[in-house]
Parts: sequence; C-alpha cells; structure tokens
Amino acid sequence: MKINLLIAGLLLTATTLFSQVSKPIEMPYYDYPIEVGDHHEVTQQYCLICHSFGYVLNQGKKSRPYWTGTVAKMVNEFKAPIPKEDQQIIINYLVKHYGYESTTGH
Amino acid sequence: MDQFSRRNFLGAGLILGASTLFAKEAVKQTVTSTKEFVTPIIAFPEKKPMKTISDRPPLLESSRDVYTKAITPNDEFFVRWHMPDIPTYIDLNEFRLEVKGSVNSILSLSLDDLKSKFEPVEVTSVLQCGGNSRKYFSGSGPATHGVQWGHGAMGCAVWKGARLKDILNMAGVNATAKYVGVNGLEKPAMEETPIFFRELPIDEALNDELIVAYSMNGEDIPYLNGFPLKLIIPGHFSDSWVKMLSEITVLDEYKKSFFMDVAYTVPDNDCECVISGSDFEYKRKPITQMKVKSVIGYPAPNSVIKKGSRVKISGIAFDQGKGIKEVMISLDAGKSWNPATLEKDHGKFAYRPWSFSWEPKQKGEYIIMVRAINRIGNIQPLPGDIGWNAGGYQYNAVDSVNVKIV
Repeated sequence: MKINLLIAGLLLTATTLFSQVSKPIEMPYYDYPIEVGDHHEVTQQYCLICHSFGYVLNQGKKSRPYWTGTVAKMVNEFKAPIPKEDQQIIINYLVKHYGYESTTGH
Repeated sequence: MDQFSRRNFLGAGLILGASTLFAKEAVKQTVTSTKEFVTPIIAFPEKKPMKTISDRPPLLESSRDVYTKAITPNDEFFVRWHMPDIPTYIDLNEFRLEVKGSVNSILSLSLDDLKSKFEPVEVTSVLQCGGNSRKYFSGSGPATHGVQWGHGAMGCAVWKGARLKDILNMAGVNATAKYVGVNGLEKPAMEETPIFFRELPIDEALNDELIVAYSMNGEDIPYLNGFPLKLIIPGHFSDSWVKMLSEITVLDEYKKSFFMDVAYTVPDNDCECVISGSDFEYKRKPITQMKVKSVIGYPAPNSVIKKGSRVKISGIAFDQGKGIKEVMISLDAGKSWNPATLEKDHGKFAYRPWSFSWEPKQKGEYIIMVRAINRIGNIQPLPGDIGWNAGGYQYNAVDSVNVKIV
C-alpha cells in the first residue's frame, strides 16, 4: 500500500539521519491550524510529506485555477505521489477553505 | 525533545491520516479562519524569534526594522530552504566539499583545507531571494505563485571564504568545461523529487568575486543559513547561493533540471515580464543579477507619530553592484521627491544605508515612499509600472509606508 510505503520511507530517512548526526540542533515544530472538513485529511496526508501546512496558509485566499496549478506543480515537478482522484479532492478542499471559485486568472 | 520526535510525529501524523482516511474518524483540529491566521513568531536555533512562514522546510522572514541596519545580524537573517530533510548536525571531521566532474584531479576538501590552503577573501554582499517582496505583485496585478514573502527575504552580511576560482584551479578545470553544478546537503522527502541543484556558466564560476564562504559577519555561518559552507555570488539573486555546499561538479554539457529550467525563471525578453498571454508560453531564462531596490526600515507601517517629532526615516538601497547614485523620499504619496542622505558605503555589493530627517508639522495620514537610482541610471519602477511574471520574481517597485501624524 502506497501510504505504508511512504511511512516506511520516512522512517528509513530518519534512521539514515541518525547516522549522520550526533549532536543535532533542535528544530522547533509548529502545529499550523488546518480547517476541518471536505477531506482535509487527504490534503494533510499528501501535502505534509514534503512541507508544513504553513505553505498553504501563507498563500492567502486563491482562485480555483491557482490551486489547480499549484497541485499540478507538486505532482508534475516535485513528483508528489497523489492519485488523480485525490488531486481533485485536494483542489476542492483548498478552493473551499483557502480560496474562491473563479475560472479566470488568479 | 530529541531530534527524532518531530520526524516521528510526522510519521505518526501520516499514520493517523491514513487511518482516518479509511475509517472516516474525526481528527481533533484547531479551527481557524484563514483571515485570522497570523504567521507565528518562533525562535529557531541561533535565531531571534522570526516570522515562521513554515517550520518544515524552515522559511523565516526578517522584520522590516532590520532594514535600518547596513549589516544584517546573523540571528535576524532570513532563512529559506527548499527541501525538508536538512542535517541538524555536521561532523566537521567527516564533512567534505567534493570537487569533481570535468577536472584534472578530484578534490575532497575539509573545512580546514578551505581555511588553510586558499587565500581568504572577504566581501560585503546582499543576499536576496528571487521571490523577495513577491506578495506586493498582487497589489498591481494577478497573484504570483510561490511563498508570499514581504520584504523580509533579504539581508546583507560580510562573507569570508575561499575564491571558487581558486578551488576550481586547484582541481584543474578541463578545457571542455562549460558549466559548474553546485548542490548541498538538503534532501527531498522522496527520491523522485528533483534535488536542489544549480548551474553556473564556467566563465561566471571563474569570476574573482564568487567565494565559498565559511564565515558570516565574523562568525561561523548559522546552521539555518548553510553551515559550514555557502556559495556567495555577489550581485546575484540568492538562488545559486547553495547552503551546506557539499558538491561542485564541473560539466562539459548543461544538465537540465527543475531548479534551473522551470523554477527561478522569467520570460526571456527585455522586460523579463509577461506582455500578453501566459508566462509559460515564453522562452525562459534564469534570473541572475539583482535590480535596483530600496526599502524603508523605519518607521514601520501604521506608525502613529506625534506632530512636531523629529523623525529619522531610514532604510537601505542596493543594486546588482553598480552602486547607488541617489535615493529619493516622497512624503506625499509620490507627488514630490526630495533627496535622502546616503550614509556609509560598505562596498558596491552591500546595502547603502540612507536617512531623511522629517519634522511633520501637520496632523493627518501620510504615505512615505522611497525610490533609488543606481550609477547606470536604473531606477525603481512605481508599483503600477512593474513588469509582471507568474513566478513573482525580482520585485523591485517603489516601497511605501503609511503613517499617521497626531
């Protein structure tokens, strides 16, 4: 299952990191708020693989084409492993909670 | 908290995410409207509390008052990483800078080698993210893609290190070499994600001015600014100022990569902007030299100032290294302009501090604006006149601050 593979991947990375560092600096963690509903967990599950939810909050309210472009960039350029149907769920969630409906421009 | 708990937390988060996905359980979440969201101010290692746009990868923005200083203190210097996996400890006994590819002899240099085998050189230079001030594009045009930085993704420091040219010469660059690739220790979360890799044309890499820095303002470079080594390219946007620099690869052929050919590119025309249609229909070119810019450090926006006070409006100006010729101030939203006093010159790649004395005699709302011109006549555009690009790069329009005199 893809999700398990991802988790395994993260744990593996953590182990590798362990061998590289012995006296690490401590990086703070911040719990960026995420609006609940409309399958926020799908958004959370994929987006947080690579970056905090701060990236989303920092964008401010953005249009449907803007969020569609952003999700496409994550999939096409950064190779986020998001199946087509989940991409649509994420776009709809972002537009509803962090954007607005618009077909033109940004 | 040890170094792994955060990562484990993330793993746990994903597992939780996965179970909710299938079991449709509700997860406890903080509910906040985006309108109310205020970027948290958090102290990261070796940093004062800073605006934390993201904690992973860390994106820390400097506040405007730092632009009253010609040199940005290390603990207030902005932070921008691209990848989530950043070493949090570097063992200097093991750390090596590898120089390889189209060279006579491969080098593997320790930090001590860099300090002892090469002539140390110093340069005071502005480091500015290509996307600095990006959020202001939305004031005069469509929103642009990327981190919505205010003016706080730049700083100016005294960098000390070895010339890149001297390092390349020690390795002996082959006559066939055309590019120099650089990358550091940051890693993506997934193998498929492109690594942060940048390329410089060979003649640029052999320029005297580029250095591999091991010191920032007289101290070790802070971890979050790229300890132990950072590439310094004075006059250029910071996209190729690789942090935790670990590999220099001399190339006979240009290597296509996401971070060179897609990210940090603008339309390849004179204005480096979109004239009509979509940005992506244009042939691309990477952003390189910075554009003349000035920012007000004091007063802060929305300041309330007592009538008759002596206000020292102050800030910084810089360009691609031609030198600032003049900085002008407007107190009436751009109707009239007066010259500011240029203060100490820290070198052609450094901030040029400026100040302007003002004794407001009338109550009311004022818009203070600043505009710089460099020695080759480049002048900052007004916000309405700046060329637009979809990536939101190279914003350098006139800065303004509103104040209320009471």
